[in-house]
This record gives sequence, structure tokens and C-alpha cells, in this order.
Amino acid sequence: MDGARWAKRGVSIASIVVVWFVAASIGPSTLPGPVAVASAFVGYLGEPVYWNAVVLSSLRVLGSFTLAAVIGIPLGLLIGWNVVFGDFTFPALELLRPVPPIAWIPFGILVLPSVAISLGVIGFEVSATVIFITFLGAFFPILLNAIEGVRGIDEEYSRAAHSLGAADWQTFRHVIYPGALPSVHTGMVVGMGLAWVNLVAAEMISGGGLGFMTWSAYTGGSYPVIFVGMITIGILGYVSSTIVRYIGASQLPWMEGSTV
Amino acid sequence: MSKQESDADDRAENRNQDTNGYEDIQNGHRESGSAGSERARATGEALVEINELTKTYDPDGAHVVAVEDLDLDIGDNEFVTVLGPSGCGKSTVMECIAGYLEPTEGEVLINGDPVAGPDPSRGVVFQSNRLFPWKTIGQNARFGPQMRNDVDDERIQQLLDDTGLTGFEDSYPHELSGGMQQRAELVRLLANDPEVMLMDEPFSGLDAMTKELMQEMLLDIWEEEDRTVLFITHDVAEAIFLADRVVVMTARPGQIKDVIDVDIDRPRDSSVLTSEAFNEYQERASDLIHDEAERAMEQKQQETQEA
Ligand SMILES: Nc1ncnc2c1ncn2[C@@H]1O[C@H](COP(=O)(O)OP(=O)(O)OP(=O)(O)O)[C@@H](O)[C@H]1O
Ligand SMILES: [Mg+2]
Repeated sequence: MDGARWAKRGVSIASIVVVWFVAASIGPSTLPGPVAVASAFVGYLGEPVYWNAVVLSSLRVLGSFTLAAVIGIPLGLLIGWNVVFGDFTFPALELLRPVPPIAWIPFGILVLPSVAISLGVIGFEVSATVIFITFLGAFFPILLNAIEGVRGIDEEYSRAAHSLGAADWQTFRHVIYPGALPSVHTGMVVGMGLAWVNLVAAEMISGGGLGFMTWSAYTGGSYPVIFVGMITIGILGYVSSTIVRYIGASQLPWMEGSTV
Repeated sequence: MSKQESDADDRAENRNQDTNGYEDIQNGHRESGSAGSERARATGEALVEINELTKTYDPDGAHVVAVEDLDLDIGDNEFVTVLGPSGCGKSTVMECIAGYLEPTEGEVLINGDPVAGPDPSRGVVFQSNRLFPWKTIGQNARFGPQMRNDVDDERIQQLLDDTGLTGFEDSYPHELSGGMQQRAELVRLLANDPEVMLMDEPFSGLDAMTKELMQEMLLDIWEEEDRTVLFITHDVAEAIFLADRVVVMTARPGQIKDVIDVDIDRPRDSSVLTSEAFNEYQERASDLIHDEAERAMEQKQQETQEA
């Protein structure tokens, strides 16, 4: 990418900092400025608490996202491909979809267990509630885009495959799956973003990770740390979406205008 | 003449042509311009038989009769072009032969057996290019044989060489020009060695020069390995240049208006296009198609007004 574009992107980020700086100097005393937050950030970089939160949240997102992809992609492809299967499954899923993640938290806390796992030196607790809610964030965009991806494939590709001698499963393998991939990829990029959104909501209430760190900074009154949490979440969300985007683009060399 | 009588006549005439046609080519004796019972090329038995085909579409209550009571026999190794105004049901007929659509009434027989779904023995080239965009040219070319685990690399390579696609095996379709994509689709089809080739306006998107080259290439391929071709077009010159027989269709509901036997020596090249015989055929076909095209246009206008 050329320098001019990077410069524009730099300006974009710098302008947030400027707005923030101005807002903090004229705004309420509870709003810390960039300088206070930067120094808190530097301090936190040396704290194991911070890195534990970062690792825990990242692992939760990674696990939930992987689960969502492993379940959502095949399910979506099948729903889009097979009308009967779609009729049996899709209405039930559509009923669950509008339920906001926060609304799942009481259910999760009451019903889903926390499982303690120890791997020799490190032992940690897997909160099924947080995993489940994070999973939902990634699952629905992936599912819906997979379905749409299949439905958007021109029927003539399947016809062509059949006329060339492909059986149904071969058509699925060689036409439906690759044809839906661009849309699946879009779903994964969106899903990765929503996974972070849901993760933070769940962690704030259910515990652990960057969400809890941010929330307890608020209840404990250390306001700059709230911003350390927010910025960290923003950066991690951005980085992970970018990774998904790049991996996706590398898998789709046939797309017009695809650049890796 | 009643429907049934005319059917019987058609069949009788067909049989006649079948026997006569063979002598024609053996003697190399063809009189250009003498349309009628003589055949431009030897044909065996009817390979494709379309009997009283009617196809209606019923999208949300609307009732569109796309094709009505259409009879057509296509002989073994015959090259038939179908000429008709836009929306007259050309693609519908082809899709019934390909096995994508079931006839509402009537039947399509291949070697005497009713069509039951698509089959690799009936290869299709689509109206708009349908190479798999997610596969390279090489992968597209070997797709058919690959489905049967029977890839003959030499043959695929030969086909790619013949069509000037060597060196593009690893390119994706969108990286190729329209003409090259069309050739690649032809390679994909030929790699499967189909008995019948169904081609739906395959060259309509190409520029005039490329189109001419593609037509010549198609004829070369067809002359070399005997195949039966049904080629749909709305280009009068193309229809005549390629065909043993040109089937002219009416505006919707699609029926056969007339059949023109094209008695021009093969192998043909573009010099044919300026011959007197060619001009005569072209005038005749243009006259036939003109009224139908007008009717089709009126239909279209009426429909848009109603909607
Ligand atoms: N799936 C469908 N549902 C409803 N109507 C259809 C459908 N497919 C085709 N038709 C209609 O049937 C008629 C014949 O369509 P068809 O595609 O066979 O025509 P065509 O001769 O191939 O036209 P063109 O020259 O535009 O390719 C048209 O009027 C079209 O609008
Ligand atoms: Mg058509």
C-alpha cells in the first residue's frame, strides 16, 4: 500500500486523540485525558494481571469463534442447499437470533457450568456462559452469510456441474462450498467483531478477562484503567478481524480484485 | 392439415432425408440454393426426438406458455441451429433436452429413451459464460473426467493446445478475455466427450472478429469428431453459416415456423459468407424472422404496459 494511504489512516487515528484531548480538558474531571491514560497503560504493560486478562479474553474469543465457524458454516451451507433441511432448522434459529446477548446471561449463569481445567502449571476456569455468549455473537453472522452465500450462487453453475457428470455431493463440494465461500468469509469478518462485543458484555457480568478488568476499574474508581481496557479491546478486535480478512483473501485467489 | 397429419408428414420426410442424405455426401453432390429434401450432411437416425413439447411457467399465478406443441427431430451428427426472436422459448427447449426442466406436456427422447435429468452425454454451453470462477482454467477443463476419476491429461492438454489456451492452465476465468473464456468452456465440454452438444447463444457476447474465429473453430471441432449439435442463436448469419438445418421459431408461445435446409459445401470458412447462396438463405431466414421479431416486440410492450 502506498504511503499516502497510510498517512490518511494515521490522520484518522490522530484525530480521535485530538478530540479526546480537547474533551478531557474542558469536560468533567471523571474523564481522564490521553496523557493520564497513556501513563496508566505503560504501567499496566508490566502487570501480569493485564496480560492474564488479555490472554484469557483472546483465548475465549478464539475458542468461541472457532466453534461458531465449525458449527455455523456447515449448518448454513446445508440450510441454503437443502430446502427440507432448511425448513426443519431455520425457523427455530431465527427465533433465537433476535435475543440480545445480555439477555442470555442469567440463563447462562443459572444453567451453564463453569469447568475448571488444569494443564500442569497453569490452571484456569472455563466459563461456559462467556463462551456461549461469545459464540452467539460469531455464530449468527456466519450462519446467515453461509445461507445467503449458497442462495446467491447462480443455479446455472449447479446445472453445469450436473451436466458434466457431477453427483449431488460432488456438486456440493465443487460448486456450493466454493461458491459460498466469499459470503462465508464476510460472515466471519463480521462475526469476529461481534464475538468481541459479546465477550466484553458477558465478561463484565460473568467475570474474568478484559471486560471484567474494565468493569472493576470503574467500580474501584481507577478511571484511566477503564480506558486502558477499552483501547486494548479495540486493538484486539481490530487485529483479529484483520487476521480473518487476510486469511480469507488468501483462500479466495479467484475473486476479482482480490489482493493479498 | 390437421396436427396429426402434419406430424406424420414430418416424420416421413425425415426418414426420406435420412436415406437420401447419405448418398449426398458420398457423391459429394450438392446443389446450393436448392432447399428442400436434400441434406447438407449425412445424418443417421434421429438422436434427439422432441414430441409435442409444451412447457408452461407458472410464477405466482401468472401463466406463461413458453413453448407449445413443438416437434423436432435431430439426426445423429447433425448440426441444427435454432433461430428465434427474444423470449420465444429457445432456452426452454434446450433446457428440456438438457434435463433441467421437465416438459409440461409431450416428451424428449434421446436414442428412444425419455430424458431423465442432466447427463454428461448431453453437454451444455450456457448463454452467459459458466466456467466455475473458483477453479483455474486447467481445473475447469478436467472437471467432467475428474468427477468420474478418469482424467486423461494428454487429451485435456491437446484440447487446450488446439484452442490456444496453453499457458493459461493456472489462470482464473476472470483473468481471461471473453473469447478465451468461451474457448475454455468449449474445452471443458469436449473433455467430457458428449454425444450431443447443446449451445445456448454461446458467442453472443463476443465481438464480431472473435465470433467468426469461434464459429470456424467450432465447425473444425465438429467435423473432426462427429457430434450432434443444437446451437441457439438470434444471429441470422451465424445460424446459416453453421447449420445443416436452421429451425426458425415463432414468437411466444414458441413453435416451429419453418425449417431451412442449408446446402452449402463443407468444410466452410468465412468465404462462404459472401457467396450468393448464402445471401439467398440469409434473405429467406431474415424474412421469416422479421414478422416474429415484430410480434415478440409487441408482446413485450403489452406485458410491460399491463405490469
Ligand atoms: N423460470 C421462469 N419463470 C417464468 N417465466 C419464464 C421462466 N423462464 C422463462 N420464462 C419466460 O418464458 C419465455 C421463454 O423464455 P426462454 O428463456 O426460453 O426464451 P429465449 O428464446 O431463450 O429468450 P432469449 O432470446 O431472451 O434468451 C420468456 O417469455 C420468459 O420470460
Ligand atoms: Mg435464451
